[in-house]
Amino acid sequence: MSYIAAGYAIALGTLGVYALSLVRRRRRLEALAARVERDRP
Amino acid sequence: MWRDGVLVAGKDLRIELRSRVVLNQVAPFSVVVLVLFALALGPSRAPIAQAAPGLFWVTLLFATVLAVQRSVAVESTEARDGLRLSGLDPAGIFLGKTAAVAVELAALEVLLGAGVLLFYGVHVRSVATLVAAAVFGTLGLAASGTLYGALAGGLRVRETLLPFLLLPVVAPVLLAGTRAWQAALGQGSTGTDPWMALLVVFAAVYLALGVVLFGPLQEAA
Amino acid sequence: MTVAPWSRRTTLVVRAVGIAALVSVVATLWLGIWVTPPDQVQHDLVRLVYVHPPIAWVALYLAFGTAALASILWLWRRTRSPMWDRLAASAVEVGAVFTALTLVTGSIWGRPTWGVWWAWDARLTSTALLLVMLLGYLALRRVPGDPDARARRCAVAAIIAAVDVPIVHFSVVWWRTLHQGATVLNANLSPTIHGSMAWTLLLGFVAFTLTFVWMLAQRMRIETLSQQLEGAELDEALQERWAEGAPAAASAPARAGAAEAAP
Repeated sequence: MSYIAAGYAIALGTLGVYALSLVRRRRRLEALAARVERDRP
Repeated sequence: MWRDGVLVAGKDLRIELRSRVVLNQVAPFSVVVLVLFALALGPSRAPIAQAAPGLFWVTLLFATVLAVQRSVAVESTEARDGLRLSGLDPAGIFLGKTAAVAVELAALEVLLGAGVLLFYGVHVRSVATLVAAAVFGTLGLAASGTLYGALAGGLRVRETLLPFLLLPVVAPVLLAGTRAWQAALGQGSTGTDPWMALLVVFAAVYLALGVVLFGPLQEAA
Repeated sequence: MTVAPWSRRTTLVVRAVGIAALVSVVATLWLGIWVTPPDQVQHDLVRLVYVHPPIAWVALYLAFGTAALASILWLWRRTRSPMWDRLAASAVEVGAVFTALTLVTGSIWGRPTWGVWWAWDARLTSTALLLVMLLGYLALRRVPGDPDARARRCAVAAIIAAVDVPIVHFSVVWWRTLHQGATVLNANLSPTIHGSMAWTLLLGFVAFTLTFVWMLAQRMRIETLSQQLEGAELDEALQERWAEGAPAAASAPARAGAAEAAP
């Protein structure tokens, strides 16, 4: 049974971490884009 | 297209005849690999004999990487541009370079095959199968190799990237070739038909793919 | 060049997909672990069927198929658009994550079933080869250079690899099934499925497909922004480095400059 728990944990955990990293990357880039827009002469 | 192909093949092969890189470097490399495998698996004949078909094909795969690297390196960036602007049909260029690589590999295989039979002490049941598998396997290797070579051609990281890109894709050739050779050497229990079919399909698919994609690939930005 | 934000509708759709994905994944987890019955042969181990095959399907068919299709659309002059290039690259990256997970879940399932962490089973072997091909694409993508040339190279690489997928599949399956004596591993990873198990399996496929789509959207947005902000990202990093180097002197003019530029 522990194998199942490990399997689910690793699968869902990895996907969760990846999803969070995607959201973080996107937010950082959106913020940068906003800054570039603002600073545009 | 065919005429351009012959032209390019002739050029590449003539360069090889004059510089003898494949002969002087790739061939000895392949022999060294065979010896290294024997060292790793030996000294008793049995495991080596059993692994012989696989070792032949693995060594051939490595030699293909080197041959393709050489095929790409023969032309500098300027020469590559020249080739593109020369008006030669890109499909023809692809077929020509593939043919040249195939011929070089074929010469290598004769040497390697002899080496395997000699060093690893195996008995041949069906020479026709050995040759047929080698022919179609080589075509597939040369075609996919030339295609990847063109893809990675101008890049500085080509040396490390090309094997990484090419080898996984040609894994089926290794698989099928090994099985076919095992049958030809009286080992293994599988027939040769599915494997020969696979080798033929692989060669056909990648030759076709190369003819279609070489042109778009060469379009420079 | 301005970077257009997602339209309101796009934002809503992506958010809806994300929420649906999350809900269905949690539901699959709950049903898979607690609600569905154990298998006759595999007992509780069968519960991994709600995770491993769906993830494998997303990786091997959905991700690869998307990447290949997008690459063809990019290469074909009539339909060429930078969006296809971004789609292909995103599909490959997300696909690589799913492929790696296919291998890991397959291995975890295999250990108690077969007794070994790794076996040269047809699916695991071809998936491993596929993962290497995807990593090759990602390595190719990292090579700096003209975006158009890069898109071209990657599109061709994706097609070459995609065409190989069925060939690899058949060769490895024949390798296993025609091989005499390969039979410690007879216990198949595919049990017979019926009843609540079937529904949960279907839910699993839906859940991971939704997850893939949501991730694809995020990754594509990242790609769009990152391509158009390439210069700006570098500038910002440089500014940070310089500010670190000479805090008192450098940051004062930098701050003054920014204050001037801002409306």
